[in-house]
Amino acid sequence: MSLRMTTPPPHGGRLEERVVRDPVLAKKLAKGCPVYDIKPTLSDKGVPVRNVYREIMSICYGFFSPVEGSMKEAEVERVLNERRLLNDWIFPYPLVFDISEEDYKQLGVTAGDRVLLRLKGKPFAILDVDEVWRIKDTTELAHRVFGTPEKNPEVVQEPFNAKHPGWVIYKSLNPVVLAGKYRIINEPKFRPPFDRFWLPPLKSREEYKKRGWTTVINHQTRNVPHVGHEHLMKNAAYMGDIEPCHGIQVNAIIGVKRKGDYPDESILEGHEAVNLGNYIKPQRHLVTFTLWDMRYGNPLESMLHGIIRQNMGCTHHMFGRDHAAVGEYYDMFATQTLWDKGIPSFGFDKSVCEVEYGLHIRPQNMREFWYCPLCQEIAYSESCGHTKEKEKFSGSFIRGMVGEGIFPPRVIFRPEVYTAVVKWWKEFNFPFCNQNYVVQQEQKLEVDLPDLDV
Amino acid sequence: MSKLFVVLLDDKRVNAIKGSGLEDKIEYMFGGNLRAFTMEMPDEKANTILKEFDTARTDTRGCITDTPLAFNRTLFEEIAKAKSLGPEVVDNTMARLDEIKELAAKESDYLPAPDIPT
Repeated sequence: MSLRMTTPPPHGGRLEERVVRDPVLAKKLAKGCPVYDIKPTLSDKGVPVRNVYREIMSICYGFFSPVEGSMKEAEVERVLNERRLLNDWIFPYPLVFDISEEDYKQLGVTAGDRVLLRLKGKPFAILDVDEVWRIKDTTELAHRVFGTPEKNPEVVQEPFNAKHPGWVIYKSLNPVVLAGKYRIINEPKFRPPFDRFWLPPLKSREEYKKRGWTTVINHQTRNVPHVGHEHLMKNAAYMGDIEPCHGIQVNAIIGVKRKGDYPDESILEGHEAVNLGNYIKPQRHLVTFTLWDMRYGNPLESMLHGIIRQNMGCTHHMFGRDHAAVGEYYDMFATQTLWDKGIPSFGFDKSVCEVEYGLHIRPQNMREFWYCPLCQEIAYSESCGHTKEKEKFSGSFIRGMVGEGIFPPRVIFRPEVYTAVVKWWKEFNFPFCNQNYVVQQEQKLEVDLPDLDV
Repeated sequence: MSKLFVVLLDDKRVNAIKGSGLEDKIEYMFGGNLRAFTMEMPDEKANTILKEFDTARTDTRGCITDTPLAFNRTLFEEIAKAKSLGPEVVDNTMARLDEIKELAAKESDYLPAPDIPT
């Protein structure tokens, strides 16, 4: 038995890299193709809730390996019924390229055709159409994606509805699906500060190697880190093989925001400030991101997070209570249950690490950190017995403090982290995402595209 | 039953109340790193706050939370002015309700950033 862990293989055995970097070939591939301009998915209130460009990026740069493109109907059915792709590898969500009937009529394509996808008016990717199929009922699809209390009684506590952002995404899909493989033919350039944190799986694996990391634990985030998060990272990283993990990776999910979230820029630079301030030294800490309009599917989202981070080369993943959750649709321990013993109604009678065609990344299920005035330290809820005296890191309490312009004490927010928040506050005139930010961000997106004359 | 209201303090706010006699009423949280006043809100005043601000609510500790930030700022200004945590401070604050509501309406678009070097 080897005591040492090694970098896990990509999910599905091979990292997808579906990016054409030769402009001559790119032009050749796109020549004469019908053109479709990518549009945001809008809710019935006209609010942008998703942009499929983020899925195309995450597929083509290998974050979602072994997925290669927009799913065929049979694959979507299999994902919904068994949470597996047609090649048997586990996968939580349907991913489709959906367009309206009107756009489909105008486009006039069928199986065997190639479509040039433009983003912000510039050539971006091609889609080789294998199948055209229709979503009969998006409400039904949305319910099947997330589960129901009747079908998934182990973890689903209440029916999903229009208050759940992920449910709204599936409910808002267009009826016509163009299924087929994507290839990016014109690499987008990330705007600052996103460019410094873009480390797709091939690059992250190279970076780990350069740093001499074989054991890496991932921290999922959609938040600016307070000191409770910092202690979660530090303590979870004690789990490794014969020594603590060499690296702590923060992988932020960047996509459509909800009002009240911190802006993406604050999240990334806030996490970076943790290492710039040497609270976790930069040699051990790496901040990265993945493009994805979060579905908030708690256990299902955690499966996707496991896939992304295994593809990036992580050996471990920390999971807390209410992982990637909103509301009380799922049991608060649903994610930990999936990774501990499985959720049979989702197709897993044991941990997703123990099923065939499952994951290699190891879960580190964690509880909570709080400040204990008696221990006089940030304490772990399963160690500290001073439950009456505990002082919790409440997100809404901290947001209130930030909004009021109170300089938070360093035991709650590191000054460097707070400074990063204020930097972007000055830029956007607001510390959190408001309607202006959400609308502007979905117009600007995270990228610009170079010219490519096809 | 009366409700509570927590007024957070930073260095700037503590300086503003220096010599007022309110220093003795400062409570310390997070190992002394976070300072605050806890004000008692008589029922009638608590109900007025809850009625005037639809985001305001009472949490499980009996504290009124989620009031507009403009309310919180004005309340502190009135505390510093009156050098008191008594109920008259709430009256003085509520006397500026129009001003608070006007600022609160803009809070979803604009909040002044703290003046710190970034």
